[in-house]
Amino acid sequence: MSQPAPFFKTLLARPEAVLLFVLVAELVFFSAVGRNFNTADNFANIVRHSAEIGLLALVMMPIILTGGIDLSVGSLLGLCAVLFGVFTHEWHIATPLAAALTLVVGAAAGGLNGGLITGLRLPPLIVTLGTFSLFRGLAEAITKGTMTYKDFSPAFLALGHERALGLPYQGWLFIAIAVAISVLVHRTTFGRSFQAIGFSPEGARYAGLPVQRRIATTYVLAGFVAALAALVFTARLRQARADAGSGYELQAITAVVLGGTSIFGGVGTVGGTVLGVACVAVLTTGLKLIPAIALQGIGSELGSLLTGALLIFALAGGVLAKSLAARRARRQSLAKPQPQPIT
Amino acid sequence: MRALKEVSFDLHAGEVHALLGENGAGKSTLIKVITGAHQPDGGRITVGGVEVSQLTPARARALGIACIYQQPALFPDLSVAENIALRLEKTSAWQRVRWAEIARRARELLQRIGAEIDPATEVRELSMPEQQLVEIACALGAGARIVIMDEPTASLTQKEQHLLFAVVRELRAQGVGVIYISHRLEEIFALADRVTVLRDGESVGTNPVAAINEASLIRMMVGREVSAIYPPAESAPGEVVLALCGVGCAAGGVRDVSLEVRAGEIMGLAGLVGAGRTELARILFGITPADSGEIILHGRRVAVASPRIAVAAGIAYVPEDRRRHGVILEMPIAANMTMAIHPRLFPGAWLRFGAERALALDYIRELAVKTFGPEAPGGSLSGGNQQKVALARWLATQPKLLILDEPTQGVDVGAKGEIHKIIRRLAKDGLAVLMISSDLPEVLGMSDRIAVMRGGTIAAMLPGHSDAHTVMAAALGQPGKAAA
Repeated sequence: MSQPAPFFKTLLARPEAVLLFVLVAELVFFSAVGRNFNTADNFANIVRHSAEIGLLALVMMPIILTGGIDLSVGSLLGLCAVLFGVFTHEWHIATPLAAALTLVVGAAAGGLNGGLITGLRLPPLIVTLGTFSLFRGLAEAITKGTMTYKDFSPAFLALGHERALGLPYQGWLFIAIAVAISVLVHRTTFGRSFQAIGFSPEGARYAGLPVQRRIATTYVLAGFVAALAALVFTARLRQARADAGSGYELQAITAVVLGGTSIFGGVGTVGGTVLGVACVAVLTTGLKLIPAIALQGIGSELGSLLTGALLIFALAGGVLAKSLAARRARRQSLAKPQPQPIT
Repeated sequence: MRALKEVSFDLHAGEVHALLGENGAGKSTLIKVITGAHQPDGGRITVGGVEVSQLTPARARALGIACIYQQPALFPDLSVAENIALRLEKTSAWQRVRWAEIARRARELLQRIGAEIDPATEVRELSMPEQQLVEIACALGAGARIVIMDEPTASLTQKEQHLLFAVVRELRAQGVGVIYISHRLEEIFALADRVTVLRDGESVGTNPVAAINEASLIRMMVGREVSAIYPPAESAPGEVVLALCGVGCAAGGVRDVSLEVRAGEIMGLAGLVGAGRTELARILFGITPADSGEIILHGRRVAVASPRIAVAAGIAYVPEDRRRHGVILEMPIAANMTMAIHPRLFPGAWLRFGAERALALDYIRELAVKTFGPEAPGGSLSGGNQQKVALARWLATQPKLLILDEPTQGVDVGAKGEIHKIIRRLAKDGLAVLMISSDLPEVLGMSDRIAVMRGGTIAAMLPGHSDAHTVMAAALGQPGKAAA
């Protein structure tokens, strides 16, 4: 949390401290074992390959903070990629305008999720499971399952391939969105409401907070950034396909939860999410650079296996640390002075 | 706090024994002890002349003790016969289901209590009283000798009540002992053989119904001294802040409520549990908006459709359920205190941690909240201090009308006195206060006027210096007889 609050320190510092340790361990290990791991090119490569999932994780975080979930962001990425192709190739709209239109469609699709969840009070898991299929199905219907859009303008493709100050463009985009989300969550009343809703939706309502509007905001934001990720994806692969972003939603959720955000809502930081994204990105890319693994071609399989293990160990470790802290607190409370009125 | 103190209670076979008492007098606790849900920490329980120790729910059932609750706990998708069979039969997993036997037994049990219900009906198609009858049939089938009925008529119509009474009389004729809990005095006189009154966890007395009248029953229920000392009223009520004209909400069971609360006035809202007091507060705060009538605040009609609108209009509500609604336990005290004033304290939605901390420290001082500091989570405080945080959140909104729902429930004596002083001070400063309380001495000691609710509407409007007897009589719906 942005304030120096001992409560949040004890509650949140732990999972992040563990993650930082894991990240450093990964970097040291792959530097020693991996081929060409410690190069600027490889670093750029890691950023390129994880920017889209990273973006989705950043907007998944506020949703999970409110106690919700969005399974549809990966499918929406696919739909937006295809729509961007339609806008540029079939409707012959200029690229900047097509990109803007794609972002609007993404936000509207997020609004559909948010509207169903808050308007009809349906569970987020069910609504976004529905739109998960709906968005992907639409994308496949538009491309009839086979068509891909290619030949985008070079200026647009630069988004996926050029660097500025050594960092790929999408890396800068990720940083910008991370800062924006972090400010939103930790420095504004929006984030405060997300947290209150995550801890107790009823309690937030009794405090007069605009609970439904705040919840809807998180899904609109997710839709908008999913569209942004679709543009990045299209620029990186130089093509727009209906299967773009398949399974990304689960990887984004993994990064958020790994980053210390409670799946039950209320607890979490954007910084933790960034660390979670970095841990997964370095792990999955680094494995492919170990000669023995690269030779067998099992890098991505091993990557998802170890990501899963990391998630479970991080959560188990967090629970363990919490119970140890609770035990220590109990012991200390025996000697602790009673609270006095502040005068 | 002891919920029960040395209560003696006996029940004969073939008797209806009524149990009467105010909210919190210990009726529920006594029932929990009898059904084995709670372990008594002293005394003896004897069933059929045999002393039982270590009563558990399972052993209580085996001894023939059954409890019929207001909300029957049946499986709605199964038939009546299946529900009865599930309760009664100890079957192994692979035993064949004998449908004919199950239906025959259900029909027999339902006939025994004179209920005309087809055993093949799905329970979801039954009305509430019919479901209660199924519960009673289950109890009989399990060989119950003692049947406890906890306010069984609370949601019944007149006709359904008569049906239920007939069943209770039938049970009595068959030699079953019935413990009958009700707030409705007329039922007790119509049905019971003896009545025991509980007050503050103690038995005030057991009398044959034939030897007692309603007035003396009410006296037994309330007859205690106002022990706590309440701060004296200092304010003279000013202009009308809140006026309600025929306000109702079908979903909340509130109808045709009209009252006025003035600036500087503490209006006590008394009544029994289920009389519609919290429901009225929820209407005023926009949680379950009114569907009829007018809410007028400072002469202007307000459509309170949501808590946000209520807050904007200057209505503040400190809810009854502090831990679920009043305070977010996981969040810091400061965040809790500023939660209802985000737009004012944080212009442009930017959090200002310095201003928040300063405001929290002010209220911590002003209300003497015992805490390590504004960053401590709400859950780290005692009940009374949590209540002060909930109060601070709403005082920060500078409301015109403050609704307090059981402001001192579960609060220790010291904090209770402090909260009373705070409420008085607020009234003196010109706030209109609507105070819901089940604590009769509190209502009497704090209120300038007392509105008594019964059956979802205002049953009586009494002056603040009324006595406990009058208020309780109005809450029970016996104003004429009680005054005699």
